[in-house]
Order: sequence, then C-alpha cells, then structure tokens
Amino acid sequence: MSVTVRTLSELLMPPSVADSPLSTQEYFVNMGPQHPIAHGSLRIVLLLDGETIRKVIPVPGYVHRGIEKMCEHMNYRKIIPLTDRMDYLSALMNNWVVARTVEMAAGIETNARIETIRTIMSELQRLQSHVLWWGVLGMDLGAFTAFLYSFRDREIIGEIFEETIGARLTMNYIQPGGLMYDILPDFVSKVKKLLGYLRPLINEYDALLSGNAILQERLRNIGILDGKDAISLGCTGPVLRASGVPYDLRKVEPYGVYDKVDFDVVIGTKGDCWDRYYVRMEEMRQSIRIVEQLIDNLPAGPYMVTKYNARLKLPKGRYYGQVETARGVLGAFIYSDGDGDAPYRMHFRSPNFNNLWAVTHIAPGWRIADYISIQSSLDLVIPDIDR
Amino acid sequence: MTEFQQIERKQITFGGKPVPVAVVHPLDRASKAPSVLKGLVRGMRLTLGYFLRPWKVVTRQYPENRQTLRFPQRYRAMLTMIHDSQGFHRCTACKLCEKACPNGSIRVITQKGLLEGVNKLDQYIWRMDSCLLCNACVQACPFGALKMTHSFENAVYDRRLLVYNLNRYAGPPAKVLAAEPDTAKRRQMMEPRGRFDGPLPLNEGLKPVLAKTQESPVRETSA
Repeated sequence: MSVTVRTLSELLMPPSVADSPLSTQEYFVNMGPQHPIAHGSLRIVLLLDGETIRKVIPVPGYVHRGIEKMCEHMNYRKIIPLTDRMDYLSALMNNWVVARTVEMAAGIETNARIETIRTIMSELQRLQSHVLWWGVLGMDLGAFTAFLYSFRDREIIGEIFEETIGARLTMNYIQPGGLMYDILPDFVSKVKKLLGYLRPLINEYDALLSGNAILQERLRNIGILDGKDAISLGCTGPVLRASGVPYDLRKVEPYGVYDKVDFDVVIGTKGDCWDRYYVRMEEMRQSIRIVEQLIDNLPAGPYMVTKYNARLKLPKGRYYGQVETARGVLGAFIYSDGDGDAPYRMHFRSPNFNNLWAVTHIAPGWRIADYISIQSSLDLVIPDIDR
Repeated sequence: MTEFQQIERKQITFGGKPVPVAVVHPLDRASKAPSVLKGLVRGMRLTLGYFLRPWKVVTRQYPENRQTLRFPQRYRAMLTMIHDSQGFHRCTACKLCEKACPNGSIRVITQKGLLEGVNKLDQYIWRMDSCLLCNACVQACPFGALKMTHSFENAVYDRRLLVYNLNRYAGPPAKVLAAEPDTAKRRQMMEPRGRFDGPLPLNEGLKPVLAKTQESPVRETSA
C-alpha cells in the first residue's frame, strides 16, 4: 500500500456525489473531540455516505502538552514523571524506556534485582492495562457491567502498586539507575495471592462478555487489518500480533529479564477485531505466567545503583531505546550535545500514534457502529498520541 | 484454553529466530442459535450470582468510611516537613529539593543567621497546586527532612490556599539547635512561621482570609 501525505484542508474538500443508485451525497461528520469512545479528546472526521464510512481523518492534538519540548529543559531524572503522563495505563513501561535509554547511554550497569522487579512490575501493569481495556471495550459496545467488573480487578492490582510505590497511576517508579523504592517484605506473598485471584477471573470475563453473541457479532470479521498493511502502517503490539505477525520486542530484542522467562508470543490469524480481542485476553494469561516464573526467586542486591543527586551526563551522541508497552513499541530517542544534563532533543515513538492511523486504512467501508468496535479494539490512549 | 477459543502452540521462525507462538483461533460459536442463548444466560447467571451474594461486592462507601480509611505507608499525598517531638526540623536549606523538583513547585528562602553566621531556612514554600507528587524532593533530601503524608482531602475554593509554608519556624536545623543548651537563646534562634506565610502566587496584595497569622517582622531575605 502507498501512503500519500495531505493536509487537513485538502482532505476536507467539498463532498462529491457518491456513485450510488439512490443518488446520495457524501457528507462530513465530526466524531469528537468529546466522544465516549475517544477516551480522551480525539477528533475524528468521518466522510459518510449514509451510514457507511468512506474516509476517516483523525485529527489529534487536543491533549498536546509539548512533553518532548519540555524534556529539553529538564534533566534525565525530571523526564521520568513526564513520561507517566503519556500513556498513563503503561506508566511503568514509559518510565522504563527513558531509564533504559539513559542507562545505555551513560553506561550504568543495573543488577539482576532491579531488572527482575522492573519486569514483574511491568507485567503487572500490562495485566492491569488489558483488564481495563477489556472493561472499556465492553462499555463502548454497550455492556456496562464489564466496565465495573474490570475496575474491581484493576483496583486490586492498583493496591499492589500503591503499597510498593505510593501511587496508582502516575508512578515515577523506574528511574535511571534503579528504582524509587525497594519492594516490601510482603510483596511476594501479595502478588502470589493476586495471581491466584486473577487466573479464574479471566475465565469469568469469558463467561460474562466473550460468550455474548451480540459482542461477537460486533467484533467478528469487522475491521480486518492485513499483516503487511499493519507493518506498513507501523502498527505494533497486540494490533500487529492479531494480524499474524509475531513481533514482540520482549522476544525479538529481549530487555529486562525477558530472555530468562518462558512465554509465548500471542498471535491471531485474521486480524479482525475479534482476533485483537482474543490476543489481549491470552496476553493476560501470558503476563500471569511471566510473573509466576519470576516472583519466587528474586535476586538480592541494592535497588538503586547510582546516587540520586549525582548529575547524569550523557556523552555527545544519539541514543535510541525501546520497550514493549501494553500497546506496542515505545521508543525514546535522545540527542545529547554532551554538555549539560538535559537532552538537546528528545523524541518518543509512541505506539498509539501509529496504531491510530490504522483506522484510516481499515475503517472505510464499515458502518459507524463498526467504527466503535474498530477504535475500541485498537486500545488507544489519547495523551500518548498527542504527547 | 477456554471453550471460546483454541490455542495452538508452535514454533515459527521470525527474523531468523525461532519464536514460540500461541496462535489464537476464536471459535465460531455465536452463529448457532442455542449457543446465542447459552452465552446470554451464562452472563446473566454470573451477574445474578453476585447479586445474590452481596458479601462479594467490593464497593467502598467513601465519605462514610472516612474514619476507617487506611493508606499504605508509602502513599504519596501531602508534602510535609518532619518536626520531631521538640518541634525541630532537619532542613539545612541546601536547596537540593528545589533543584530536583521537575516543575518548580518548591521554593526555599534562606536567611543569614545572626547568631549562627550561616545560611539557615527562612521559609520553605511548597505549591501544592502545581505539585506532581513525584517524590523527587523526598528522594533528593540528604537529611530526610521531608516526607509525604496521607492527607488527600485538600480541595479549597481559593487556589492561593494551596501554597503552603512547610516549616513552623525559621532557623537552623535540629542538629544545631540540639547542641544549644540555653533555652532562651534557642528560642531566640527560632522565629515562628505560619502555614500560609510567604509570597502568594496570584495576587501578592491579598492574603487568604483563612490565614490569620501573626505578621512576621521585616527580615532580609534572599530568594
């Protein structure tokens, strides 16, 4: 597929007469910026013919806070709390990508304990994010019960974060050189209890929502994204894997202690919304599997290998590091000019931005109601698109 | 594996490496009429089960359970300066917290101590309205003078009431004060400071009505 770059005004040309026997006319409808499925502020301009979508024009930028620019005025430790605010459902992975890139550039060697705790926490966060996604998908498609059930379980994972870190959402936990706090003595037993609680619950989710014929009919064979197109569009994460491409950064380019644990890359076959749904459902089980393998033998060692107040200066150069968040590949690019402890330029390659543009490819031809399923199955977090 | 999907585990080569994959095959169940009913009934049975077992409900009645609310030790809400049993704080006004703060929510004003001859803390101003609660100040403090407390009900009608002065007195840290045996001299070194003392962010002329504090004498300050 080829991609042509056009401006918004070019895209919003006067509507043309559609070639339909009813001599209908195409018209534009603004979906958003305030719309329940946006989960934030995202404007989607739809070119419609009747109820059929002809063209989708996403207009991001309503939650733009200039995080990349703000990073240029902050040292590498101060960047971490800003990254919490990008993809707030994968806050720990966002922390990790900056910490990882800075550690790579500055040559800081972390120990096995730090990396293990980072991996466990990230997997719990992925679990929490997918649990929330499941409920929100149900809510988008009209099943409010699912939303309440998912929030119940999300809070239980949130309590573990609250006890260990002190915050539920914007955690600022993974920092260059280590972690903010060491884990508490009862962390291991609590996580085990949590996993024992969650494993049967995923079957409960299946009973509540997956078996529902209305949901299945709204997801199956809707919004089919081909694997090659997904690669061309730069989609990553469950969206790409549901199209049958087994690209998972945790396997392809292992970081943390992912090379020591045993887990499967979950892929779909067709690439429709129903595959994206089930890939995430199975990823929850894989996350539980990863945490189970790591939680029993945590290595000993300090939780922070650098002094907090020491200046972190990176040598002159360009650095890029990436991690797999709950939504795909998040990359951090740092251009350091060698003097001062702030980056000269900072860029984030955020997964949601690329996943968003998949709608321009897969939504045309479907109805508005199908668009809800498509965007909900992409699991977009708007502050991460805009940064 | 559940009854709605089949998981096929196999090894495939991707990028020249063998990758263990779990291929998800969602089963085509909704197309059959009995299965449609079965799916709906199962969902309803689950919710009915919770309806009949109210002890499994996890809802917490927030304003009613205020007395029994317990927070984890590390819960981050309100920044406070630790004052020990004698009322001394440990802040030496080194300004490391001010430097560590990502968005300038902390301002440490120092003064030249007349008796001690060194820089000492005059006012520790914390703007809660712009604070991220990122814990950087607590991590940066080499003396452990700060901590995050659990008070989270901080809603006010006037934004200026979110600018706090954290120290209860202007003066040297606890280490210096404890070394001074003379009580009268020690009292002279500690100048009281109110909770809302200090420069106000929006309108310098108007102090919030709530803060009826003692007017502190004019002093030389260095920001």
